[in-house]
Amino acid sequence: MFNRDTWQEIWHSIKNNKLRTFLTGFSVAWGIFILVLLLASVNGMQNGFYKQFNDDATNSIFIYPNATSKPYGGFEAGRRIQFKNDDLEFIKGSFEESYEYISPRFNRSVTAKYKQETGTYTIIGVSPDHQMIERSVIESGRYLNKRDLKDRNKVLVIGQQVQKELFKDDDPIGKSLIANGLVFQVIGVFSDDGNEREESNIYAPYTTMQGIFGNTDQINSISMTYNPAFDFTRALAFSNTMEEVLKRRLVIDPEDQSAFFINNYAEGFSNIQTFSNFLTFVAIGVGVLILIAGIVGIGNILIFIIKERTKEIGIRKALGARPIEIVKLILMESIVITTLSGFGGMLFSMGIVALISPIVDAPAFSNPNVDNTVVIICTVVLILAGVMAGLIPSIRAANVKPIDALRAD
Amino acid sequence: MIEIKDLHKSYKMGSNSLHVLKGINFKAEEGELVAIMGSSGSGKSTLLNILGMLDEADTGEYILDGVPIKNLSETKAAKYRNKFLGFVFQSFNLINYKSALENVALPLYYQKVGRKEREAKAMKYLEQVGLKEWADHLPNELSGGQKQRVAIARAMAAEPKVLLADEPTGALDSTTSYEVMDLIQQINDLGNTILVVTHEEDIAHMCKRIIHLRDGVIVEDKKIEQVRASQYVQ
Repeated sequence: MFNRDTWQEIWHSIKNNKLRTFLTGFSVAWGIFILVLLLASVNGMQNGFYKQFNDDATNSIFIYPNATSKPYGGFEAGRRIQFKNDDLEFIKGSFEESYEYISPRFNRSVTAKYKQETGTYTIIGVSPDHQMIERSVIESGRYLNKRDLKDRNKVLVIGQQVQKELFKDDDPIGKSLIANGLVFQVIGVFSDDGNEREESNIYAPYTTMQGIFGNTDQINSISMTYNPAFDFTRALAFSNTMEEVLKRRLVIDPEDQSAFFINNYAEGFSNIQTFSNFLTFVAIGVGVLILIAGIVGIGNILIFIIKERTKEIGIRKALGARPIEIVKLILMESIVITTLSGFGGMLFSMGIVALISPIVDAPAFSNPNVDNTVVIICTVVLILAGVMAGLIPSIRAANVKPIDALRAD
Repeated sequence: MIEIKDLHKSYKMGSNSLHVLKGINFKAEEGELVAIMGSSGSGKSTLLNILGMLDEADTGEYILDGVPIKNLSETKAAKYRNKFLGFVFQSFNLINYKSALENVALPLYYQKVGRKEREAKAMKYLEQVGLKEWADHLPNELSGGQKQRVAIARAMAAEPKVLLADEPTGALDSTTSYEVMDLIQQINDLGNTILVVTHEEDIAHMCKRIIHLRDGVIVEDKKIEQVRASQYVQ
């Protein structure tokens, strides 16, 4: 089938019909190019969405206190709700099976000083679990541990930004940092993938913070993650039950929506997942449409080519070419052109995507990428279907009476 | 070699039907050189096309070298065309992106002759028509006469039983026409059967037999004294 003569026929035909060859090749390459860009864009958007959630664990629940909006149990409306250590221990005890990590947050703004450098930062009193909830990455030193909590050690884990601003080139580990006149020891530096503002924070054991700032057992908010084995429904059921139980414990009207807020990531994450699935669906739909357009384009050009070559087909038939040889002549040429340009377009567009992917990192669009298998399958489908589209007109042309073909101009 | 009986052919022209051939009976023996004459519209080209299996008759018999030509599939027709027939057209019908040599070799390609042999054979026939030096030229680099000689070489390359020429000199000046006719006579001298469609008296008289067509029937069929074209060629 592929002897030297066939190749020479194809080569001759391509060499002498450069525009035709270019048009066919371009339409194929262009179809693949658009398809790859589409798939990459959708992938980039999906990556962007997931990355937004990457700041914190995707199974996070945050509880913020506020003030009541309804009078209840002898209390007037507008009472400020304040969580205490007891509440934390109560949640731990009541929902042992349902949570994975839990940590209080006790925030204070301080003026921190190292040598000549000073700055205003928020120190957040947390428990060691907080590292997992906030997804803090330790760059050097270590995070807080249980011993720090128990002994109320005056130790700090500082964000990278704090290190840059206060310590410059000094290694901060083991150095003393003065916050509001009190001396702390820096034990670690952390970074945070999802959120750079987070890197301007400083973490300390919450017990230490409560002791220093007013010798209190109050806490500002509670962060936790639910059992990762939970699905969306169970995760919501857990936070709803927790809300009910906390309202009873703190004597709040069950209907009161503003006494405190529970922010369960399961909700938002489920929305994102739905949207992401929708995007995939749209991508497949549009991709199929692009493929169809490409196929129609190839078919069109093949019909045009056949029209243009009708007289030549007539001559060849007069010289004794069988219909199958005419079909072969036309299809071989188009297969060679579409295959070369199809894979050319594929490599080109994938090259562009590979080049752009690491650079692009916006909040809603990040690291666009494509699945090689999908692209290769699409290319092969486009080539095969395009050739199929050309098969019918070429068979028809091959069976035309030679005299009709010879008369064509 | 060629035998046709009561051949009819009509063309549909919209709602009208144009009866072109109205019962042709005709016989040609091996080695004949026949001129088919007639004014335009007399059906001479249609007759040649049917003889060449480029077109099909509506009714009638056609026997070529003992083989009845009837209801052929395109594949079968292609085989017969390749084996039995060589064509020379008024407009040459060379493939314009192939060199003279490649054009001549094309019928051999469809005969599945190997590459080396094909080129050697094509070169031999090009030499026979005096165009060996032009083998690598494309058709648009050749004069009209040269193109027709390439076309004749191409028709001869397949070593057909019958050579069919449709107005072979129609697009050429008289000097070149005589050169082409000289070539056709030489090929006929070798024993090949040749049918030439023409409307030029002098060209027809260079054949050995003239058939006159008028309005789709043969009105005259006579053997003549052949005028040799070589006397006009320098």
